[in-house]
Amino acid sequence: MNRAVLAVAGSRKTQSIVDACSDTSDNPRRLVLTYTIAAQRNVEARLARACSAQLPDVSGWYSFLLHHWIRPYLPLLFPGRRLTGLNFTKQTGVDYATGPARYLDGDSRAYKRYLSKLAFDVAAASNGAVIDRLEHIYDEIHIDEAQDLTGYDLEVLEKLFASRIDIRLVGDVRQSTFNTNPQDLKNRKYRDLKMLDWFASHQTTGVLDVEQSNRTWRSNQLVATFSDTIFPKDCDFPPTESLQTRTTTHDGVFIVPTKHIDAYIEAFAPLCLRHSSATRTPDTTQSLNFGVAKGLTCDRVLIFPTGSIADFLNKGKMLTGKSACGLYVAVTRAIHSVAFVIDGYRGGTLATWSPA
Amino acid sequence: MINRVIIHGYRIFRAFEFCPNPGTNIVVGDNDSGKSTLLEAIALALSGRVNGRWAQDALDPYWFNAHHVGEFFAALKAGSAPSPPEVMIEVYFSPDAVGLHDLRGIHNSRRDDVPGISMRITPAKEYQQEITEYFANPDCPDILPTEWFEVDWRAFSDERLTRRPKGLGIAHIDSRTIRSSAGVDYHTREILSSFIEPGERAAIAVAHRAARHAISTDTLAPVNERIAEHGKALHDQPIGLHMDQSAGASWETSVVPQVADVPFAMAGQGQQAAIKVVLAMDRASTTTSFALIEEPENHLSHTSLTKLVARIETLAGDRQVFLTTHSSFVLNRLGLDKLVLISGGRCASFNDLPADTVSYFKRLSGYDSMRLVLARKAVLVEGPSDEMIFERAFRDRHNGRRPMELGVDVISMAGVSLKRGLQLCAALGRQAAAIRDNDGQDPAHWTTPLQPWLQDGVRQVFIGDNAAGKTLEPQFVAVNDETALRSLLNIPDDEGTTEWMGKHKTEWALTFNESSFEATYPPYLIDAVTFVS
Repeated sequence: MNRAVLAVAGSRKTQSIVDACSDTSDNPRRLVLTYTIAAQRNVEARLARACSAQLPDVSGWYSFLLHHWIRPYLPLLFPGRRLTGLNFTKQTGVDYATGPARYLDGDSRAYKRYLSKLAFDVAAASNGAVIDRLEHIYDEIHIDEAQDLTGYDLEVLEKLFASRIDIRLVGDVRQSTFNTNPQDLKNRKYRDLKMLDWFASHQTTGVLDVEQSNRTWRSNQLVATFSDTIFPKDCDFPPTESLQTRTTTHDGVFIVPTKHIDAYIEAFAPLCLRHSSATRTPDTTQSLNFGVAKGLTCDRVLIFPTGSIADFLNKGKMLTGKSACGLYVAVTRAIHSVAFVIDGYRGGTLATWSPA
Repeated sequence: MINRVIIHGYRIFRAFEFCPNPGTNIVVGDNDSGKSTLLEAIALALSGRVNGRWAQDALDPYWFNAHHVGEFFAALKAGSAPSPPEVMIEVYFSPDAVGLHDLRGIHNSRRDDVPGISMRITPAKEYQQEITEYFANPDCPDILPTEWFEVDWRAFSDERLTRRPKGLGIAHIDSRTIRSSAGVDYHTREILSSFIEPGERAAIAVAHRAARHAISTDTLAPVNERIAEHGKALHDQPIGLHMDQSAGASWETSVVPQVADVPFAMAGQGQQAAIKVVLAMDRASTTTSFALIEEPENHLSHTSLTKLVARIETLAGDRQVFLTTHSSFVLNRLGLDKLVLISGGRCASFNDLPADTVSYFKRLSGYDSMRLVLARKAVLVEGPSDEMIFERAFRDRHNGRRPMELGVDVISMAGVSLKRGLQLCAALGRQAAAIRDNDGQDPAHWTTPLQPWLQDGVRQVFIGDNAAGKTLEPQFVAVNDETALRSLLNIPDDEGTTEWMGKHKTEWALTFNESSFEATYPPYLIDAVTFVS
């Protein structure tokens, strides 16, 4: 049976994959798919520690598509063509091209933006050989950060659901900070938080068993409760329950005025986070982008807000889709405390920190 | 399991295709027919290496088929622009192969969707310019500039391979090159080192280093003190003797196998061969799925060979074995049905042999079936006297030239039934003449049961007419001057000609064979000579 576990940040989703893979009693052949390179290294290291006997293969989503879907059978779709690699650039005009030119550049490298569509088409042209081949190689495929799959990725997933391979997804739609296919129009109605509907519809048809979990082992209850407020009530996410019992003298969510940034960093050594390099931060601080921070755990974070995040904190104006997801990822990195750099805070619910 | 091998342009093979048996394959052929090259090509495609060296490093102009190279340079000199010769080796695995589907795809010359590996050696794209200039030079020698060729080693999934894929362990046993400077040849070293676990490997390396260090610091210390005293005059820096601790002095070159307290390299060659086979094959077949064995009969007495072949049989297990041999014994013993016949870089087609014939030859393993297999044309005779008479009749027809010189092998069946011999010839598609006595029966009595394996002009049986006598002797006497024959053979006056000849079969045949007696031959013998001429 194919299974999906949708769970809040800090609920040990990746660990559940590592745990599942450490059971090698009937010697299953496993593949673990992750989205980012950093996540791939992280999972590989944890698997190496956890699995004594048979180490599962670990691969990124794109290389999975290239290696197992496209490369072995590409000539069946486009005779005479052989895959040479991946083209990451945003090629203009490709959207209007037809035939191979839409998918492959002059050197036969596949365009990233249509990769899953190409994989899907090659699988169709192979007459089932792509899936049959995978069934001979793997018994189980685990996919981490499944919420990041969009567009034709979901069609690829459906093909996998229908195979003899057990598919195990873990993810959290609240952390949809990436789209594997931002320009892909397929399945647009399931973007971001709407992916919940996709999971629900596959549960209804019986191809997927969906399990939800709202318990976090990471953030304390104060941080967890704050993270719940990032999404509108009508999303119907159950309130997050914290299992974190450690306490410090500085727990919860705080406001830090610009003039106290240095003192705050001096006092708490937080991980500094920003939406992107476009967010203004002081030259003296080192910050990570929200998306890059995904998967990390730290004691405290200090967030440099965007205009819309400031509006959310000051005026209670709800964030939309991707922005909400980004903030959720940033906030839920922390175990003990979250602080926002804001001058003239008008929200009233959060305490403003100042040096003693 | 390998179920197909295609080789194009590699050494003797211009266009070679071969579908091996799932179990044992006995590769048989004349010298220079390509037996060893076939094994080498399989090892090359599976491991990317030749004798321990990566293909790219070992590549030389003689890898390319001499015909292809000749044709290429002829065309080049004639002014056309031919494409340079290329090498292609493809190894196909059966679709039910477990654990090899990562190698599966349609990137092979047949477009089959199966697991497999291909190796291609082609002019490198980045040296296109240099290659073009080289060939454009009117003085360019007729040798390919292989420095500018590249080895492209890939799975049928089109994925580039950088090391031997999992599940394709091979054991290569070559008893011809038994001695090497390191005491143990590369293949044996490979086999031995696969016994050592990574942890043990590290432990051995550390202990080895420590031992060398101890020699340097303890044993060599007094020597170094003495050198230091005298050395000051020689050089301003201290000089001393130390055990080599550089990479070249790794334990692997000083750890050698021993057989019953004798270093492997000092053991008898026969014993070395036997040990190699056992080492290579006495393991779980998961580590070595393929065994390549070259001429196991070398250096072995018949007794040792019997033991060795029995071991090969039991140890083969789930492995696929490719074995070259010149020995009829090995061939008979392992089963004629596993025969792969190669000649002139081609794989001869070989039809199924009945199972009872295979086991018949297994029991009569001393029979020289290899001659039948390798003969271009075979003449099957009953015994040595028939052999000598036929040989003489053949020489008389061909101005003194022996059958062998004209590709005809006269083989005495020595008790092996004509039926089995003809079955084997039929399976091989071999042209054969069978000659036998009528033993008082109508010739049809003998030929009718053999009909399934006979074919006019290809395989025929020649039997003397009943009226002219039961055996060769009366048939021969009937067409020759009896008085002259009696005096040639010195037959005592009180003995009848045919009776005496019948009692002294080999003797009269030999005397006649070596004489210059001008004989006439019975019609069936003349027909047989004509048939193979």
